[in-house]
Amino acid sequence: MASSIPGPDTCPEFKRRKRRITDDSLASSHSHQRNQRVKRWRTQREQHFYSSKLIQALHRSRRTSAKEVHETAYRVLAVLAKGTTRWSRAILTARKMTKHKRAKVASSTRWRRPAINGEKRKTPVVQKKLQALGRLVPGCRKLSFTNLLEETSDYIAALEMQVRAMTAITELLAGGGPQPPADRLASNVNS
Amino acid sequence: MSSRRSRSRQSSGSRITDDQIIDLVSKLQQLIPELRGRRSDKVSASKVLQETCNYIRNLHRQVDGLSDRLSQLLASTDTDSDQAAIIRSLLME
Repeated sequence: MASSIPGPDTCPEFKRRKRRITDDSLASSHSHQRNQRVKRWRTQREQHFYSSKLIQALHRSRRTSAKEVHETAYRVLAVLAKGTTRWSRAILTARKMTKHKRAKVASSTRWRRPAINGEKRKTPVVQKKLQALGRLVPGCRKLSFTNLLEETSDYIAALEMQVRAMTAITELLAGGGPQPPADRLASNVNS
Repeated sequence: MSSRRSRSRQSSGSRITDDQIIDLVSKLQQLIPELRGRRSDKVSASKVLQETCNYIRNLHRQVDGLSDRLSQLLASTDTDSDQAAIIRSLLME
């Protein structure tokens, strides 16, 4: 049962899911691998690691437009995935290329996996929604159903961690600035 | 999910059974806060996929909003000592 998450649960902003669905039906080795993946993005330690990497990157770049922050946040997230997922690789690849090259790559990957096997039995409605989902997850437009769902689960977990981390950083920056934070402290605030 | 009575014609590469689809969709369902409590046989695949898309878009929006806010905060607190203190406090938690 993948219920143990290391680190104290001092995270105030998001309720952390400590229980996961157990995969009893899978072979034990497969379920071990699954448990590893399930814990991924959900530990306190990972979130802190991401937060510090993000802050470092932002601190270094010195350009703090919203677009810059946005791109950096996704880039750091994708780097953390260490190339194990398609969405993370897609994010990093997209960064490296210029717009011109990106258009070329997009068209050249059409030959890969053109037919999605096993789609015959799905209704057109489900089919359309699958396509919509494939467009939302980076680099996953032409994936098979199984792979798409795997990428989606990982992507969602990563995004949730990203939101938790950025929220925490924002709260720290907003509350810990030079001006006295009015709401944070328990002591009386002189008006 | 009602049983899909497909035509007996099967494509040669079709490895994914209906049961697998049902299984995968129910796993996905557990990830979506909206749908987590519900019984998987009461939620259609289409709804799960729809909610997944909505949820991802929602998360994207949250990240966008946070990026905006973060960039504003970074612009206003741009002394090195402040940011160093924040990094330190983050790592010490």
